[in-house]
Amino acid sequence: MYESIILRTVSKVMLPVLLLISLFMLVRGHNLPGGGFIGGLLAASGIILQIVACGPDTARKLIPVNYLQLAAFGVAFAAVWGLLGLALGDPYMRAFWIPQPIPGIGKVGTPVLFDVGVYLTVIGVTAQLALVLAEEPTLFPQQSRPKPVQPVAPEA
Amino acid sequence: MLLTLVLITFAAAPLGLLARTAPRPAFGWLLALIPLAAFIGFGLQAPAVLAGQTPLSVLPWVPAMGIELRLALDGLSLLFGLLVSGIGALIVVYTASYMAGDPGMGRFYLALFIFMGAMLGLVLADNVLTLFVFWELTSVSSYLLVGYKHEYPEARRGAQMGLLITFGGGLALLVGLVLLGSAAGSYTISEIVAAGDVVKASPLYGPALLLIFLGCFTKSAQFPFHFWLPNAMQAPTPASAFLHSATMVKAGVFLLARLHPGLSGTPLWTLTLTVVGATTMLVGAAIAMRKDDIKGLLAYSTVSMLGTMVLLAGVGGPEAPSALVAIILAHALYKGAMFMVAGAVDHEAGTRKLSELGGLRRAMPATFAIACVAAVSMAGIPPLFGFVAKEELLYATTRNDLPGWLGLAVMAAAVVSGAYSVMYAWRFIRGVFLGERGRGVKAHVHDAPLGMLAGPGVLTLISLALPLGLLNPLEALLAPAVRAVGGPEVAISLYLIPALGLPLLLSAIAIGAGLLLTRAEGRIVAAPSPLPRWLSGDAIYDASVAGMLDGTTAFTRVVQNGKLRSYIAWSILALVAVVLPPLVLYGLAGLSLPSFAGIQAYELVAALLIPVGVLATLKARSRLGAIIAAGIVGAMVAFIFVIYSAPDLALTQLLIEVISTVFFMLVFAVLPAAFEKLSPRRTHIRDGAIAVVMGLTMAGVAYAAASSTALAPIANTLKAESLSEGFGANVVNVILVDFRGFDTLGEITVLMAALLGIYAMLRLRPISDPTPMSPRGERMPSEHGSAAVEEPGERELVGRER
Repeated sequence: MYESIILRTVSKVMLPVLLLISLFMLVRGHNLPGGGFIGGLLAASGIILQIVACGPDTARKLIPVNYLQLAAFGVAFAAVWGLLGLALGDPYMRAFWIPQPIPGIGKVGTPVLFDVGVYLTVIGVTAQLALVLAEEPTLFPQQSRPKPVQPVAPEA
Repeated sequence: MLLTLVLITFAAAPLGLLARTAPRPAFGWLLALIPLAAFIGFGLQAPAVLAGQTPLSVLPWVPAMGIELRLALDGLSLLFGLLVSGIGALIVVYTASYMAGDPGMGRFYLALFIFMGAMLGLVLADNVLTLFVFWELTSVSSYLLVGYKHEYPEARRGAQMGLLITFGGGLALLVGLVLLGSAAGSYTISEIVAAGDVVKASPLYGPALLLIFLGCFTKSAQFPFHFWLPNAMQAPTPASAFLHSATMVKAGVFLLARLHPGLSGTPLWTLTLTVVGATTMLVGAAIAMRKDDIKGLLAYSTVSMLGTMVLLAGVGGPEAPSALVAIILAHALYKGAMFMVAGAVDHEAGTRKLSELGGLRRAMPATFAIACVAAVSMAGIPPLFGFVAKEELLYATTRNDLPGWLGLAVMAAAVVSGAYSVMYAWRFIRGVFLGERGRGVKAHVHDAPLGMLAGPGVLTLISLALPLGLLNPLEALLAPAVRAVGGPEVAISLYLIPALGLPLLLSAIAIGAGLLLTRAEGRIVAAPSPLPRWLSGDAIYDASVAGMLDGTTAFTRVVQNGKLRSYIAWSILALVAVVLPPLVLYGLAGLSLPSFAGIQAYELVAALLIPVGVLATLKARSRLGAIIAAGIVGAMVAFIFVIYSAPDLALTQLLIEVISTVFFMLVFAVLPAAFEKLSPRRTHIRDGAIAVVMGLTMAGVAYAAASSTALAPIANTLKAESLSEGFGANVVNVILVDFRGFDTLGEITVLMAALLGIYAMLRLRPISDPTPMSPRGERMPSEHGSAAVEEPGERELVGRER
C-alpha cells in the first residue's frame, strides 16, 4: 500500500519477531505484565505491518488464516473451559489447575486456557478489521481490483 | 407430576411437525393421544383434589427473590386442566380433518401444542411470575395461530392486533403482579390470597388491582378492548374454537377467579368488574345477533359470555362462585362445539356468511343435529347444561352484594343478554340449516367427516348428559373449584328443575323475549348497529398503530440520521443522562479537592501535555496532524500508567494507540488531506458542550470512585488472593481471566459482535449494488455501464468470503 522498500524489508523481519514476542507475552502474562489481550494486539500489529507494507494479498498469503473463523473460534475456546465447572456441579467458569507447574510454561489451568481464547479472539478481530478496511474496493481500488477503475473526478 | 404434565405437552410440540409429510386424518387421532394422556393425568389427580389436597411441584430458580416454577393443583386448576387437555384432544383430532392436505399443518400443530403447554402451565401456576411467563407464552402462540395464513393481510393484522393488545395488557399485569407481591410480601399466589386482608389494607392495593384488571380485560376481551377477539377469527377454526373461545380468552377470568377469595369485596373490585362485565355482556350480545359471518357471530357471543364471567367475578354473594364455575364449563362445552360446527359448515359449504348459507339440514344431517343441541344449550333453554348454568347466573344476580339500583340493572342486563342469546342461537340454526338452499353453497355438499364431527359430538353429548342424570357427580367435581373461588364455606348445588322463584321467572322472561325477537329478525338485522362507529375499537386501534409508527419514524430520523457525529452525540447524552444525576446527588457529597503535594515535575509535564494534545487535535488543519496530536494524548496516558506502576495498562494503551493510528490512516488515505469547515459555529459550540459535559462526568465518576470511603476497597483482597487463589503474580491478569473472567468473556463477545457488524456492513452489501462510492459519496459510474455489475470478477470481489 505504501511503496517503500525499507518498510517491506523491515516488516519481513519483524513479523516472526512480533509473533514470538506475542506468544511470550501470552505465556508470561499470568505472573508478569502481559496476557492474552496484549499478546493478541502485538501479534495483530505484526500482521497489520504486513498489510501496510506489502498489501493485504501478500499478508493473506504469508499467514493463510481465516481471521473471522479464528475470532469465532477464540470466543468459543474461551467459553468452553468454563463448562467444566458446570459439569461438576460448580458455578460456570470455576477455575481448575494442574497441581504441578509445567517446565517452561508454568502453572496451567483453565484460566490460562481462557486467556488463550482471548488471545485468539483479539488477533482475529483486529487483523480481520484491518483486512476488511484494506481490501475495501471503495477505499483502495488499485490494490484489490483485478481491473483498476479510474475514479471519475466529480464535476466542480 | 404436574411439571411432567406441562412439559410433556411442550415436548410433544415438535411431533406436530411430522404432519408435514403425512397430513392424514389418522395422524390427528394418533397425535391426540398426548393431550389425552394429560387429561388422564389430571383425572388421576382428581381424587386427591376432591379430598381437599393440593398437589404441588416446585422448581426453584432464584429462591432469594421468590422466583420459582411453582405449580399447584387445586379445584379451579383441575377444572381448567381437564378443559384444556380434554378439548385439546378433540381439537387435535378435528384439526387433522379440517386441515387435511394443508402443507402448513405441521407448523399449526407446533403452535397448538406450545399453546396447550403454556395454558396448562398458566392454570397450574402458583407463583405470579410463573403465571406471567405462561400468560405471555399463550399470547405468543395465539399470535402464531391467528397469523397462520400469513399471506393474507387481514390475518397479519388480526395477529398483530391480538399480540399488541394482549402484550400491552401483559405489561400492565406484570407491574400489577409485582406490586401485589410486594404488598403481600410473597410471590406465591396461595400466600397472596391468604394474606388478602393485609393486601387490601396496603396503599398498593388500588394501583396493583387496576393494573391486573387491565391485563385481565385485554386478555379476556372486555369492553373497550373486546375488538381484538373478532379480528382473531382470522385464525383457522380449530384455533378459534380452542384458544379464542374455550380456553385462552378465559385466562383473564381465571386470574380474577384465582385472586377472588383474597382480594374481592372492596368497592373498587365489585364496581369495576360489575360495570365492565355487564357492559361487555350487553355490547357483545347486541353485536353478535346482527353479525352475518357465523364465526363473527360466535366471536361476539364469546365476548358477551366473557363479560358475564367477569360480572360474576365482581358481584359477590353466595351464588356467584358456583355460577361462575358452571358458566365457564357450560360455555367451553357449547361454544367449542359451535365453533367446530361453524368450521365444518365453512369447510363443506365453502362460505361462512349467513346471507349465502341455508338449507343444509338435509345435506349435513349429523352436523345439523349436533348444532341444534349446542345452540339450544347456548340459548339457555332446558334441558341442556347451558340452562342449568344460566339459572345459576340469574340466581347470582338476584342475591348479591351490589347496591340496590345497580343490582336491578345487572339483573335486567342478564335478562336482556339472555334474550339476545336466544336470538343469535336461532339465527345460526335458521341461517345455516333451515329454509332454502343458500346461493353461496357449493354444489355437492355432504356431511363432515368423522374427525370433524367427533369433537363437537362429544362436547354436545356432555352438555346433554350432564343435566340428565350426572348433576350429582358434577357437583362433587366442581365443589373444590367453587371453594377455590369463593372460600371454604361456599357450596354448589345444581338443579335441572329449579325451584319456583324469581330466577325461574327471569329465565322465562329471557327465553320468551328472545323468541319474540326472533319474530322480528329481519327488522333487527336491517337496523343500523346501536353502537357509534368510533366505539368499534378497530378505528382507534388503527389510528394508534399509525401514530406509533409515525412517532418512532420521527424519533429514528432525529437519533439515527446517518451522521456519525450525531450517533456519538446521542450515545454520549444517553450515558450522561444515566450517570450524571446519581453522581451529583450521591457521589459528590464528602469529596474534597485532591492534594497536589509531592507531585514530581515529570508527572506534571505528562499531565499537562494531555490537554495540550487535545487542543492540538481540535485545532489541527490536516488529518495527519490530528492523528499525531491525538497520539500525544494516548502516549501521555500510557506514560502516566507507567509512572503509577501499571505496566499492563501502559502496554495495552500503547498498542491500541498504534493500531488505531493505522486504522485512521487506512480510512484517511482516501479523504482530503485538509479538514473543511462545513458546520456552522453553533454546531461546534453544541458539540463542544456535549464533549465537555461527558468529560466532566467521567472525571467525576473516576474521582468519586477512587476517593469514596463508603465501601472497603476491593483491591487489597484481590492483591492478597491473586497468588494463593488465582495462582498468578500478575493481579491484573488474574482479575481478567479468573476473578472477573465472566466480564472478559462478555467483552470478547462484544468484540466479536462488533467485527461481525463491520464485516457485514462492508462485505455483505447486496451484490446487485456493488457500485463503488467515490470519496465524496457520489456513486461512481462503472466504465462498463450497467453490464459490469454482472461481471464475475466484480461479483466475486464484493461477495467473496474470506
